[in-house]
Amino acid sequence: MRVRRGYCRDPNEDFCSRGLAMLLENKFFRITDRKLDNDMRGVFHVQIISDCEVYKGHFPGDPVCPGVCNMETIKECASLMVGRQLRYESIRQCRLTALATPVVCPEVDVTVSLTEKDGTLQIQGQIADGEQTYMTLKGVVK
Amino acid sequence: MTTSRAINKIENLIPQRPPIVMVDEVLAVEGDVCTCRLTIRQDNFFMEPDGMIAEPGVIEHIAQSASAFAGLRAVEAGATEPPVGYIGEVKNFHLVRRPRAGEELTTMITMGPEVQGVTIISGTTCVSGEVIAETQMKIFVRED
Repeated sequence: MRVRRGYCRDPNEDFCSRGLAMLLENKFFRITDRKLDNDMRGVFHVQIISDCEVYKGHFPGDPVCPGVCNMETIKECASLMVGRQLRYESIRQCRLTALATPVVCPEVDVTVSLTEKDGTLQIQGQIADGEQTYMTLKGVVK
Repeated sequence: MTTSRAINKIENLIPQRPPIVMVDEVLAVEGDVCTCRLTIRQDNFFMEPDGMIAEPGVIEHIAQSASAFAGLRAVEAGATEPPVGYIGEVKNFHLVRRPRAGEELTTMITMGPEVQGVTIISGTTCVSGEVIAETQMKIFVRED
């Protein structure tokens, strides 16, 4: 499988997310910085948006970042990296190693790496800050 | 134990509230197996511009189905508030396709034994009898 190159030649130039309709970017999280080794590996510095509507229901008066929103965040960062919308085909293992909340971790680093293997595109992601790791994920995207 | 429709309102069984309620009702319970339903509405939190929900929305639906099952057991044991459970781990999630607006998801949850506050569940989600997703999960229940 060929990975289509991103829109931007220099991976650290501004992202041109034209045509990429992200579900949670600028709603649940906001990218404030990024450091890309190439378009297959990078670290995104992300703010957790504390007034996201999801916290009205998860949970009332007790905001906790839904684990699935963190999974989506990893995938959206990967999508922005390669310049196309990626989808999870499978998740071999995703461990939620600490409770993430907008208060506990208002800013986190999302580390994403993609590897082409056996005709599939494998993704590894991690969400962490200086204190602890909140999520590690291994899966396949397409 | 067999349970029929409308046995209990979903708000009594899960702690999540709009916009992130991803189960409509518990359809049936038999032993360690529970079946839940969700109709995908256009205003679903995970809805994408192409009319289908994002993949993590399916995982959340399976997690909340397990949560509703645990909630039903807790309510039947006399609890007044639904227990708050967290996903500890997702394992071997496979998605055949994303569900689209208007489709009805039927999810079968098989709950394993609880060991030190951790329960391993497996879930299979169907649309009209066709499997669209399956996964295993470890769920932690917060004891207050």
